[in-house]
Amino acid sequence: MSAFFDVSNLSVHIGGMAILRNMNLGFREGEVTALLGHNGSGKSTLLKVLARQLAPSSGNVHLLGKCFNHTGAREFARNVGYLPQHPPGTDGLTVRELVALGRYPWRGPLGRYNEDDHRRIDHAIEDTGLCQFRHRSVDTLSGGERQRAWIAMLLAQQTRCLLLDEPISALDVKHQVETLRLVHHLAEDRALTVIVVLHDVDLAARFCDRLVALKEGQLVADGSPREIMDTGILESIYGVPMGVMERAPGQWVSYVH
Amino acid sequence: MYAESAAIPARQPVLPPGLPITATLLWMGALLASAAPWFGELDPGALLAAFWTFDAGDYSSVLAHYSWAPRVSIAILIGCGLGLAGAVTQQILGNPLASPTTLGVEAGGQFGVTVGTMFFPGLLAFSPDLVAVAGGLMAIGLVIALTWRLGFSPVTVILAGLVVTFFLGAVNMAFLLLKGEWLGNLFIWGAGSLVQNNWHPFMELWPRVLALAVLMLLLMRPLRVLQLGQTSASSLGAKVGMIRLLTLLLVVLMTATVVSRVGVVAFVGLAAPVLARLLGARTLGARLLWSSLLGGGLLLLADTLAHWASTWGDGSLVPTGTTTALIGGPIILVALQGFKNTHHMPGQDASPAGFLPKRRPVMLVGSVAITLLLVTTVISMSWSPGLEGWSWTAFSQWHEAWVWRGPRLLAAILAGVALGLAGTLIQRMTGNAMASPEMLGISGGAAVVMVLIVLSGADIGRAGQLGGATLGAAAALGLLILLARKHHFAGNQLLLGGLALYVFMDAGLRLVMASGGTVASQLLNWMYGSTWLVSENEALGLLALILLISATLLLVVRPLTILPLGETSASALGLPVTKMRLVLLLLAALLTASATVVIGPLSFVGLIAPHLARVLGQQTVGRQLIVAALAGGLLLGIADYLSRIVVYPNQLPAGLLAALVGGVYFLWGLSRHGRA
Repeated sequence: MSAFFDVSNLSVHIGGMAILRNMNLGFREGEVTALLGHNGSGKSTLLKVLARQLAPSSGNVHLLGKCFNHTGAREFARNVGYLPQHPPGTDGLTVRELVALGRYPWRGPLGRYNEDDHRRIDHAIEDTGLCQFRHRSVDTLSGGERQRAWIAMLLAQQTRCLLLDEPISALDVKHQVETLRLVHHLAEDRALTVIVVLHDVDLAARFCDRLVALKEGQLVADGSPREIMDTGILESIYGVPMGVMERAPGQWVSYVH
Repeated sequence: MYAESAAIPARQPVLPPGLPITATLLWMGALLASAAPWFGELDPGALLAAFWTFDAGDYSSVLAHYSWAPRVSIAILIGCGLGLAGAVTQQILGNPLASPTTLGVEAGGQFGVTVGTMFFPGLLAFSPDLVAVAGGLMAIGLVIALTWRLGFSPVTVILAGLVVTFFLGAVNMAFLLLKGEWLGNLFIWGAGSLVQNNWHPFMELWPRVLALAVLMLLLMRPLRVLQLGQTSASSLGAKVGMIRLLTLLLVVLMTATVVSRVGVVAFVGLAAPVLARLLGARTLGARLLWSSLLGGGLLLLADTLAHWASTWGDGSLVPTGTTTALIGGPIILVALQGFKNTHHMPGQDASPAGFLPKRRPVMLVGSVAITLLLVTTVISMSWSPGLEGWSWTAFSQWHEAWVWRGPRLLAAILAGVALGLAGTLIQRMTGNAMASPEMLGISGGAAVVMVLIVLSGADIGRAGQLGGATLGAAAALGLLILLARKHHFAGNQLLLGGLALYVFMDAGLRLVMASGGTVASQLLNWMYGSTWLVSENEALGLLALILLISATLLLVVRPLTILPLGETSASALGLPVTKMRLVLLLLAALLTASATVVIGPLSFVGLIAPHLARVLGQQTVGRQLIVAALAGGLLLGIADYLSRIVVYPNQLPAGLLAALVGGVYFLWGLSRHGRA
């Protein structure tokens, strides 16, 4: 598999503080990657750089082999979708109208929506299980449903990559699992590259192909769940004594001593 | 994990040196500037002595004792009082931009006194405080009721305060235009004049200010608890609602007491606490202390400037309210740059509940609006009062009536359309239902130029005025763009920049009103939208312009839907956010300028028409634009007709009527807004 994102020598300084330091990392196409780390470790910053929401202080990112600064705004949005940590209020938009906005990168300000667009919009709504809510205002939905509506918008955007910034931090356990399961399925069905910032290391190990951990702006661990779910590595990531049990193949439980 | 925090040295935060230095400089500067003209006549010792005694044989000494000294004292007293009131207001509302001015209290007090003068002169003679306090309470009550359910976010509160100020100002103006002969000297008083001719007002004022200040300081501890936010404060056992109510009452009392004596001294109550905060006053106690001190210094400085301007000018009185507004504007601008993360202001976390009326088909609503517009046109063209009662002009005779009724009606409708479109654009791009061209100061920019033209005495004709107003609007817009570029034209900064522009406009207005005479009434007529000044060519030119802009608007409908999702999401969808905002801003400014020239800067149409479209069930951008344009046209069309007939054979400015009707609608709509 080719590298979808290729991060080389990336550093980000904000107000004299180094948030990311000299980072080298590649993200393969079709892989679900979790970014782990404690608060302030730079994982959200990395995601923002990948989404071009934040310009790096130095270093470079290549998207599909091309330096990603040279891509046009809409062309970039056709390849990479980004869900911010706190999606804003939607000011009365219905679910379907929100999802339809995902076609903007493809149709621009004036292009007509054709059959294909409407099919993709409906498909995205179906895939996220929001059929019965399609004409409800997004503001009136519950937290989990709202999150799914935004994910549906990203799906309608028809990108090859999703960048999700803590998509489950405001949800209860049931909705956390459902959202991650949804992301996992979608990634498989549509061969998406997904990079997701997560706090829950167990859920990350359960649903992601690869775990990448940051600490103080530097890479501290990178590997498959099996490699990362190890007492020593978890301790080095979070800085607290931890233990790990493997309950069943592919299902780990971590705990704090 | 606690080990890390222990590594930070525990040091008591100290008072930043900038604060006392600035305060001292301000006071020294203001006192010296104020005393400067007297140094030639009296030696410093005698000047100082003027505060308590005078030498009956020396005219200068008498003058200093009865004019200069009380003026200085009252400026310092009022400045301190308003500074303290402002700091307390900011604390209780958790809002760094709250103040008696921005909450509408001063306008309310002024309104109370105007009503008192007209209808209850006996009451006014008994106690001027009473009516002023009642007016102030009414204004702040309105603002709070309007914004309570909308999450009470800083910008919303300020905007509601502005709307209330505008509205009360319009009512005041209606009284002035109808009963001008009664209220002539209210002009000067309303602009805030500190001129004194004896010690009586000061002696009357100081015990009241002192008592209110002491009461405010008694509430200091509960106020400190409020800093933690409503939830934590009430979990600490503070009766949050009670404290807020009590303190606001004190603030209103303080402000109204001042307003009823010297008129509106705008922006001292805002500028002083903002300055104190910017200079680093951190704790509540420090903020209250330094706000009072800085307030006293600021007002003394402003008053001295006003005094100098009056002396050096052509002898016409420059009220202190003008100079405080001139000082207040820049301070708001500085504050705007200082409060970087406005998103984390307290009170903004609670997002307002969605306002979602049932959707209705655009064809239905649109055709109803068009029908109403046609009906208005027909009635306005045909049915009018004459010398011998009402008469009906048949369609075949319209070409004769056209020259009298046609252009002004067309211009009014077009101005309404333009404002409806501009308002929708601005509300959408700032994501704030209270934004409008009036609020952004674009209309204000046009008005300032008009004021300058009138003041300079140049007679450049209607076309020149038109050009000048357009230039002014463009300049205001340019300034806004410069200010907001740093923040990528984000909503709140844009609105606050507009607020600062409004302050400047306000200063100009006060100046003209105080100068009185024909100039003032001429300008007032324009300010409040006198459609009878419009010629046929101007109306047709406006028609062409509006049609052109409407065609351009088709290009921006989709980006405008995406922008409210926030900068992040919008750029993630591939929208060039900054460029798009610039284009929208330009379109909105052009629309506003063309409307302002016709209807004046103060109508509420740009605020109401988009709101009305929402209430009528048009939630998506394209539909809202269409219906808002129609609604705006309808509103001003009706206003124009009514302005012709209500006080026939006299005429009222149509913009004033629209502002009155629109203001009532808006206040009513907003209070429903939260409940829905």
